[in-house]
Amino acid sequence: MRQSIGLSGIWRECKFSKRGMKNLATTADHRYDASVAKKKHTISKWSTNRTQEIVAGYLFIAPAFISLFIFLVVPILASFVLVFMRYDVLSPPSWNGFENLSQLSRDGRLQQVYWNTFRFVVFATFFNNLLGLLLAMGVNRAMPSIIKYLLRTALFFPVLTTTASLALVWNFLLTQDRGVVNYLLQQVGLPSVPWLSSSSWAMVSVVMFDVWRACGFLMVIYLAGLQAIPEVLYEAAAIDGAGQLQRMRYITLPLISPTAFFAIIISIIGAAQVFDNVWVLTGGGPGDATRLIVLYVYEIGFKRFEMGYAAAVSLTLFAILVVLTLLQFRLSRRWVHYD
Amino acid sequence: MFRVFLGETVIWTFLIVMAIIEFAPISWILATSLRNPSESFKLPPDFWPTSFHWQNYLAVINSPQINFLLFFWNSLKIALMTTLAQLLTCSMAAFSFARLRYPGRDLIFFLFLSSLMVPATVIMIPTFILIRMLGLLDSHWALILPATTSAFGVFLLRQAFMGIPSELFDAAKIDGAGYWRMYWQIALPLVGPALSALAIFTFLGSWNNFLGPILYLRSWDNYTFPIAIVMLSGYMGTGNRAHVLAAVMISILPVLLFFLMAQRFVIRGIAVTGLKG
Repeated sequence: MRQSIGLSGIWRECKFSKRGMKNLATTADHRYDASVAKKKHTISKWSTNRTQEIVAGYLFIAPAFISLFIFLVVPILASFVLVFMRYDVLSPPSWNGFENLSQLSRDGRLQQVYWNTFRFVVFATFFNNLLGLLLAMGVNRAMPSIIKYLLRTALFFPVLTTTASLALVWNFLLTQDRGVVNYLLQQVGLPSVPWLSSSSWAMVSVVMFDVWRACGFLMVIYLAGLQAIPEVLYEAAAIDGAGQLQRMRYITLPLISPTAFFAIIISIIGAAQVFDNVWVLTGGGPGDATRLIVLYVYEIGFKRFEMGYAAAVSLTLFAILVVLTLLQFRLSRRWVHYD
Repeated sequence: MFRVFLGETVIWTFLIVMAIIEFAPISWILATSLRNPSESFKLPPDFWPTSFHWQNYLAVINSPQINFLLFFWNSLKIALMTTLAQLLTCSMAAFSFARLRYPGRDLIFFLFLSSLMVPATVIMIPTFILIRMLGLLDSHWALILPATTSAFGVFLLRQAFMGIPSELFDAAKIDGAGYWRMYWQIALPLVGPALSALAIFTFLGSWNNFLGPILYLRSWDNYTFPIAIVMLSGYMGTGNRAHVLAAVMISILPVLLFFLMAQRFVIRGIAVTGLKG
């Protein structure tokens, strides 16, 4: 969650300043220069001050940098080495050449897993964003604050709660025989559904659970986007005689598109990494029906102890996520309006 | 007039149905966790407590084999240490990026930014090997150390620090304050909202972390709440659903209380961090 939230800001930042981060850096620098200029007469002290500032700068960065280096840069580099290794954790690693990489193309289960992940990502992203946007529009309306409070609490609460615990609860709810959901279906005269035991329904359940859990998060993101639209625009449109639907089509949707763009990227990146959901709800089954990519990597690494191959599979996910993000970013220019 | 009325009805029906769908499972947990254990599988289900077997909660807390308070404490300890570490390292780095000038600063900042594109799950295998080589398996440090900083936090706080008028720092400099003092006494107190947003996310992220504990923790005594509940449901779930749900409720409770008190705050935090960066 944390990670994905950051992205939206970054994209926006990169987008706003076409010249990249230089722009941002210079705002600080200009201020700095001004303050230095004021004190030109103390030029003799300037060089020691400057050295102090440089030393302080590095010292302040050091803790974060060291931590990031050890636990992010080193693992990334290591995974490029690991791809060429055979390593089962217990015996020392040995050179394996391109064996792990060629195994990627021969692994039929990997194709199945990617197909599952693809469907999961598409459906979860679609419904999360659709519901998130609709809910945001609903909650954004004028209403008594107590009702707003209750609505937001109900809609947002699953987001804050441990996914694993909630998946456990849904496991109880969706059981075929004595499950609550099937009981309710029967009460209204519908047949009971093998939610978790049929391979076609299991994926539905997994997507359903994810949408149930996460659409409140998307709601909050869209809510912030909606609240940033100036009220004046709606008033002007109303004076010009635009109806509700027209206002939505010509004001809300264009102006919410940057938000939608970030929200969709966040959802895709988040959904591609879903793990605890399927681990608890279906265990990847029945068969391989709901095995998603991260669960598969986990199993290759920690059940089959093929660390090299697991790293190779992770790299494919990494590559796909990077390509997807860049592609989305390019395409977005066609339909995202920045004000 | 009729069209407006129809529109309102559709919108309100949608909102209320969604609110019920989102909240019903939560109230089902509460209701079922308070049922007599022998009736915990009985249909029809309750969505509102009809009986009050508080003994279920006591049974979970006092269970002889399973030390639930210990799991609670483990989760709390890890979440608090992670949060404190991130607040410190992120704010220091952010202060440096936003307020100090030195060679290579923009390059290092760019490295921090691009590291946001690397999801933790993608490097799960090499990280595990690293943790194992450091001898940290089955220790809480395996969960705390890799989370001592976050590029996201650095980015968030840097934005906040850049919003502080530089005159404040100039004045402090003239008064002879060193950089640490500027950071600690001027910069930090002025970015309270950003700090607390980061604290909330870090704490929740750590409290709800599932993959990390699954990878690194081996012995019962070290388990955190989320995996303890999932593992335990295997043992107790078949016979006694009420106890499992009581345990789930105990894990939800702190978050629920916190959210009820600080709802606006949490939502604003997400909005600010999600959109304005």
